[in-house]
Amino acid sequence: MGRIVVCIKGVPKPGTVKVDKETHTLRRESAELILNPPDRPALEVALRLKDQTNFEVIAISMGPPNMVPLLQKVYALGVDDIYLISDRAFAGSDTLATSRILAKALSLLSPFDLVVMGARSIDGETGQVPPETASLLNLPSITYVKELRFVDGKFIAIREDDFGEEEVEFSPAAVVSIVPEIDYVRPPSLKRLLSLKEITPKILTNAELNLDEASIGLSGSPTQVADVFEKTLVSRGEIFEGEPDELAEKLIEVLKEKGFLA
Amino acid sequence: MLIEFPLKEEHKIMIDLIKEIGETYIKPYSLEWDEKEAYDATPIKALAQADLFGLIIPKEYGGLGFGTFEMCLAVEWLSYFCAGVSTTYAASFLGAYPIILFGSKEQKERYLPSIAKGEKLCAFALTEPQAGSDAFAIKATAKKDGDFYILNGIKQWITNGGIADIYIVIALTDPAKGARGASAFIVEKGDPGFVVGKKEKKLGLRASVTTDLIFNDCRIPKDRLIAREGMGFMVALKTLDYARCGAGAQALGIAQAALEVSLKHAKTRVQFGQPVYQFQAVSHTFAEMAMRLSSARALVYSVCQYIDSGAKDFSGASAMAKCFATDQAMWITERAIQMMGGYGYMRDYPVQKYFRDAKCLQIYEGTNEIQRNVIARELAKWIKV
Amino acid sequence: MAECIFAFGQCFEGKLHPASLEILTPLREVADRLNKRLILIGLADDKEKFLAIPELKKLLADEVWYIIHPNLKHLPDDLCERVLVYLASEHKPYGIFFPATKKGLSVAPRVAGSLQAGLCAHVNAFEVKNGNLFLLRPTYGENIIAKLTSQRLPIMATLALNAFPIKEAEKEPLIKELKHPEGFDWSTKLTIKNFKPPKKEPSRLSVAKVVVAGGMGLKSKENFQMLFELAKILKAEVGGTRPAVHAGWVEADRMIGVSGVSVRPKLYLAFGISGAIQHTVGMEGSEFIVSINIDKEAPMMKMAHIGFVCDAPSFLKALLRKLKAKD
Repeated sequence: MGRIVVCIKGVPKPGTVKVDKETHTLRRESAELILNPPDRPALEVALRLKDQTNFEVIAISMGPPNMVPLLQKVYALGVDDIYLISDRAFAGSDTLATSRILAKALSLLSPFDLVVMGARSIDGETGQVPPETASLLNLPSITYVKELRFVDGKFIAIREDDFGEEEVEFSPAAVVSIVPEIDYVRPPSLKRLLSLKEITPKILTNAELNLDEASIGLSGSPTQVADVFEKTLVSRGEIFEGEPDELAEKLIEVLKEKGFLA
Repeated sequence: MLIEFPLKEEHKIMIDLIKEIGETYIKPYSLEWDEKEAYDATPIKALAQADLFGLIIPKEYGGLGFGTFEMCLAVEWLSYFCAGVSTTYAASFLGAYPIILFGSKEQKERYLPSIAKGEKLCAFALTEPQAGSDAFAIKATAKKDGDFYILNGIKQWITNGGIADIYIVIALTDPAKGARGASAFIVEKGDPGFVVGKKEKKLGLRASVTTDLIFNDCRIPKDRLIAREGMGFMVALKTLDYARCGAGAQALGIAQAALEVSLKHAKTRVQFGQPVYQFQAVSHTFAEMAMRLSSARALVYSVCQYIDSGAKDFSGASAMAKCFATDQAMWITERAIQMMGGYGYMRDYPVQKYFRDAKCLQIYEGTNEIQRNVIARELAKWIKV
Repeated sequence: MAECIFAFGQCFEGKLHPASLEILTPLREVADRLNKRLILIGLADDKEKFLAIPELKKLLADEVWYIIHPNLKHLPDDLCERVLVYLASEHKPYGIFFPATKKGLSVAPRVAGSLQAGLCAHVNAFEVKNGNLFLLRPTYGENIIAKLTSQRLPIMATLALNAFPIKEAEKEPLIKELKHPEGFDWSTKLTIKNFKPPKKEPSRLSVAKVVVAGGMGLKSKENFQMLFELAKILKAEVGGTRPAVHAGWVEADRMIGVSGVSVRPKLYLAFGISGAIQHTVGMEGSEFIVSINIDKEAPMMKMAHIGFVCDAPSFLKALLRKLKAKD
């Protein structure tokens, strides 16, 4: 039986984010966390492989302790085991430091056949972690995958590229990132939901990972935020108020004046 | 609403799950399914993966081992999103009940695990062209032939016809004995001589599938007989006693949705310079809707709990739950349209769908006239003079 | 040491991806201010096809270095990484920059991982101050811009698509082929079994003269659909905000903003778009902006040349009714 590890992320529910004024990083403790939406298709791809080929599926997440309910929810979708990678020393990691931590955690879970991640997170939007983690593990990475099959000991992926669509074949182990446009994702199982009280994630701290503190967290991140500033806007135009009909009439006038309407 | 019925943690978890399924896999599409009269297998797959087809299947066969109450909560909240989908779902339980209640150990082992996983849908076939409310008038026959039974006849208006894999069919093994000569059989999709007729065109519940079933020298092994020969109506009536609460639960979900949509509209629609809800003729109608829905819910829930407490004879109780709740849903959905005026009548808005869906509930699984007969009959047994 | 800047020149079958030309525009400025040589790195399988790329002679780069190997046809990520890491270790560039194409976003993190370098994503502006390079990117879905630096060299980033205009140089760059040493590992673990050019026409959104865009203020998919009717009348393209795309109201290739499309039309109509920075970076180059929003204080209302304080769906319905009545 092979093993698939899915890396998931908790992201702040849009609108609940606060930025730490000192470190300019996200204050995740204060935000309400939801599962990063593109991670749900990633889990689905892994669980379909489990349905077909009987892979063991493990979900891991790096984040603060308030990730636990999210990991439990992921358990309810059908994964076999859940891990939380959590340590104060990990806070403030950029994509390189994050990839180092994930790569180390993954090496503790080896041997595995496949690592699956969402194509990007909706907070950072970088999409860098899957290939960067793969690079640190010296594994191939296959990004923007929209279909994945396992045939005769090899994976076959359909992936989107800039000039077209590729069908790529590769042997285990590898890291794939999954595009969100998947036709269907499964709901959680009621049986599993009813058993969640007994399910807690295994915790991996830096005591287990044993990474040099200079290589993780804020101090291990070459990318530093020098400043954040709000974009301040001063009204530059005219504002009209009124009933929809009269306002629409006004817009039509303007469009005609500007030559956008005959 | 105004009453929070006390629910256990596990019930809340289940309802939240169904709401998640409803929001994701049903709500965005339900008007389209209705418009096109199309069955979509996606929500059924989602319900299966969520274990919800295993609700009433005993644990030893891979189910959750829940009772009528949980089944009704699930059906209620599915109906809130689409009564067509909930009909497919509830009708499958209708087909599963005979095996759960009367099946042999071998039959349970053979069928229940795949039913619990939602891999196989069920259907229940009693009605025939000449035998609707007068169920005893069925003509379909099952003749014993060595190790086989040979089925002949036509079943009409069968929910899940064609999409189900397992059909419970009531047929006469001894026509001379009348009602006592009927037996219940399990027929599988693909059995020789069994074909599915055309899909019916319906007023409501259009996301569900209704067809004829045609048996033309359909040959099935004798171990497909449920219980014993002659037990057919016993199996059918007991099944319907259980399932009737499901129809009542559908009524609750539809009525809840109709009330919510129309109330939101009435509070935002401005006429004569104020939201129409401010007019007493409107707000009092909503007060009446709320009372009727709450009392229907109280009745359905308490009948479910009565059944689950181990009651032996509950025909009258389940008839009350079904009849009362579905009549209220009809009234509430009709008023909901009226409260929305032209918006309620337009097919861009869901209220007219609720109204059409609710109409079927007063007809199927025993018309409400038959339910009143049952209630009256049971009442007469209660006071003996 | 650190006297050159690498720009990834992504090519395929004798075509250079336009995004590779875009990134040269800001990098040219950066290179000039920091006194570095700007070098476009091209990886390809066919030398003649590569040298026949028409834009090559008009590039803003000082030099073009190209590496030819049959295995580079589909630019396999692992092999690209190895080639670029080798070049970086040989030449110690000050910075390595990629366009935020799918290929750029796939290869850059691998190179960064190998070089233990920082990597900034979706950079859409640079600042040079006291000889230091700062990279700017919108962030966190709020109206916040982050100014980033790298503690280590090379500085690495992927640059937002359509964020910079393509410009041509007056003098031809020096074009030379680099040979990797004997025994260099040209293998890849990825086998391309099949390749299909894209099925559907790429959306014309990024070059549209008129864009009608919608956000959550449109309230439903049905309301959003009305934008397509309006687009037909105005000969416009339809765009959407990230939340509208996530809600399934419109396809992902019509998303405007970070990790979506950038537009710079003559007319931009925003229906029910509050104006989160992740969206506005993708449309702030629009010439004339009209915003329809129930919230007078929304950032988009402030960006707009004309704002209408109104429920967006009601406005859109009224507008369509009037436009159709006029036909």
